[in-house]
Amino acid sequence: MAHGAAAGHGAHAHGEHDHHPTGWKRWVYSTNHKDIGTMYIVLSMIAALLGGLMSWYIRLELAEPGIQFIEDTQFYNVLVTAHGFLMVFFVVMPAMIGGFGNWFVPLMVGAPDMAFPRMNNISFWLTAAGLVLLVMSAFVGGGPGTGWTVYPPLSSIAYHPDAAVDFGILALHVAGAGSILGAINFIVTILNMRSPGMTMHRMPLFAWSILITAFLLLLALPVLAGALTMLLTDRNFGTHFYDPAGGGDPLLWQHLFWFFGHPEVYIIILPAFGIVSQLVSTFSRKPVFGYLGMAYAMSAIGVVGFIVWAHHMYTTGLGVNARAYFTTATLIIAVPTGIKIFSWLATMWGGSIDFKAPMLYAIGFIFLFVVGGVTGVALANAGIDFALHDTYYVVAHFHYVMAIAAIFAMFGGYYYWVGKMTGRQYNEGLAKAQFWLFFIGVNLLFFPQHFLGLAGMPRRIPDYPDVYAGWNMVSSFGALLTMLGTFMFYFIVFHTMRSGKPAEANPWGEGATTLEWTVPSPAPFHTHEVQPVISAGDHGNGGHGHGAHPRPAE
Amino acid sequence: MPGAQARGINRTTLTAVVLFAVVVAMGGLAFASVPLYRLFCQVTGFAGTPKTGAYVGTASAGAGAAGEVTVRFDANVNSQLPWQFQPVERQVVVRPGEEVLIHYRAHNLADHPITGTATFNVTPFKAAQYFNKIECFCFTEQTLKPGEDVSMPVVFYVDPQLFEDPNTAEVRNITLSYTFFPVETQAQQPSAGEKAL
Repeated sequence: MAHGAAAGHGAHAHGEHDHHPTGWKRWVYSTNHKDIGTMYIVLSMIAALLGGLMSWYIRLELAEPGIQFIEDTQFYNVLVTAHGFLMVFFVVMPAMIGGFGNWFVPLMVGAPDMAFPRMNNISFWLTAAGLVLLVMSAFVGGGPGTGWTVYPPLSSIAYHPDAAVDFGILALHVAGAGSILGAINFIVTILNMRSPGMTMHRMPLFAWSILITAFLLLLALPVLAGALTMLLTDRNFGTHFYDPAGGGDPLLWQHLFWFFGHPEVYIIILPAFGIVSQLVSTFSRKPVFGYLGMAYAMSAIGVVGFIVWAHHMYTTGLGVNARAYFTTATLIIAVPTGIKIFSWLATMWGGSIDFKAPMLYAIGFIFLFVVGGVTGVALANAGIDFALHDTYYVVAHFHYVMAIAAIFAMFGGYYYWVGKMTGRQYNEGLAKAQFWLFFIGVNLLFFPQHFLGLAGMPRRIPDYPDVYAGWNMVSSFGALLTMLGTFMFYFIVFHTMRSGKPAEANPWGEGATTLEWTVPSPAPFHTHEVQPVISAGDHGNGGHGHGAHPRPAE
Repeated sequence: MPGAQARGINRTTLTAVVLFAVVVAMGGLAFASVPLYRLFCQVTGFAGTPKTGAYVGTASAGAGAAGEVTVRFDANVNSQLPWQFQPVERQVVVRPGEEVLIHYRAHNLADHPITGTATFNVTPFKAAQYFNKIECFCFTEQTLKPGEDVSMPVVFYVDPQLFEDPNTAEVRNITLSYTFFPVETQAQQPSAGEKAL
């Protein structure tokens, strides 16, 4: 599309189908949305291994009271910090937005590629550079032991005198710039490059979720960048944005960070909503129930997500009126979220459900998300939060509602789309076994942490009194099962690549109605070069409503 | 492809430019939040920022009936600043609307002149909007010669509105707290009003 003008140097050979650069140039110089999407997924799998190993090491230390493995407590802090950063910025975001988003948004809306393919390349390599910087930060001085929230004064030069925090700040700056460019790319693509007849209200819900996520990124990440810049100048150039000695205020950081941080959790979970909507619809062989309600519920979650940030700060001395407001606003989010849950259930209701591995993961997602959502409603109340703030109850809550839920959507998305991406289908029996292992593992891992939190066990501390020993051992055993489930997933990825059966263009049958199933598997290097024309289809049910009518001229 | 492009490029570029503008605006907002937040705190007394300026109401009206408030004084010194700093009176009982003069004492223990500046706040936070300072050493930077011992006056009053607001009607104790920090660049002249939060 728009990049056609840039093809002046003659290296491009448009028109020749599937002609593409080879060797390292294909990847490093890539402007192809599918190749870039693949690279994002690979990056995410590498970062997930790093972040996962850290969390298992943490659980190993926490299995029993006392200090067994991690004698340097700053190193424990570094592990907790790096685990959070890696999982949020370099696992979930790259996989869902950069990976599946890049692969399937253009395919689903009938666009030949992203609007700015070279910018797409920059987005990826900035993210990769961010990952390298973050890993480097752990080896500078004592490493950054600030937690992913980087609160001053702990993150100030007085308590982290070496350059570790500066490396971390730079990592987030660079990765954030990559995400902002990616967000702009998605918005422009979705607004301007849809196929004829693919109206906004016929767009699949996954494309909707990426569109809304991109807007959240656009509004939230610049605020983080600003806050990080102030922290950087406070640390290195003698400013006092967060230092009361010069008239600053450490609370300013918390306000700015959570103004970014709360939308960030929706940035993580909205694409998961999109994926799960596709999965539930496909495997129930029904259009999504209440398509428009689903799309606008996601929009509402995005909007309200920007005005609830201080519910992370109830214990900082907010006035009673501010607490009342933030409690109310936070509870309101349960309404659009409820719309989504019930619409998924209604989609399944009366459907001809096929319990393939992706569907198991979709149902698992709904279960985990509801458990985490219920504890979220509890924590939203300022009065309750005063008791539970910074306990393991919070850890259990956010791992259920966004961390593990997002991973379930990613696993589901992988099994759903791997045939389209690689041309090879996964082994159903292995995938189902992996699901059950992982599902039991994560619940055993995180559910007991509710009990620990209610009993008052604080977060971010490598040791605890003997009274907490029992459930911590259960939790660590769950972590072991989760680890086995994760390694089994990596094995399935390898097994699929090596000996998976060839995938059909549409392995899922009549339920899979979105445009990516109209192109061959694996998807050719160039798709939708002639844009498919979408007709009204089996009218009135939007997302999947364009039906299987379009046959793109491949 | 080329046929469809002429229109597409313009629209695509336009969208991208608008989105970049949004990014710049949000980044700017992060920095603008510093003065905006300060302004907001000054206007509303949010987060324990006491108000400043002279009392405009009538001091006597209704004040006797409303009762009295105990104002306590708290003093802290940053560990980098070799000063002794404490209030002369630990607490005073004031009637609402009454202008009160109290003193802190500061003593420079070092053998060289040092400039310090004080931050302040009022607890409970919700009472801050009714606590007004007319004159305060904390409005300017203070330089003490070696061994110098000075008296630092504060003039304040408690707004009678404190008793009318259902949120603060039960408040009978207010703590005014100061923390002195060294001013890092000693060469810099104390600029009056700069730190007048």
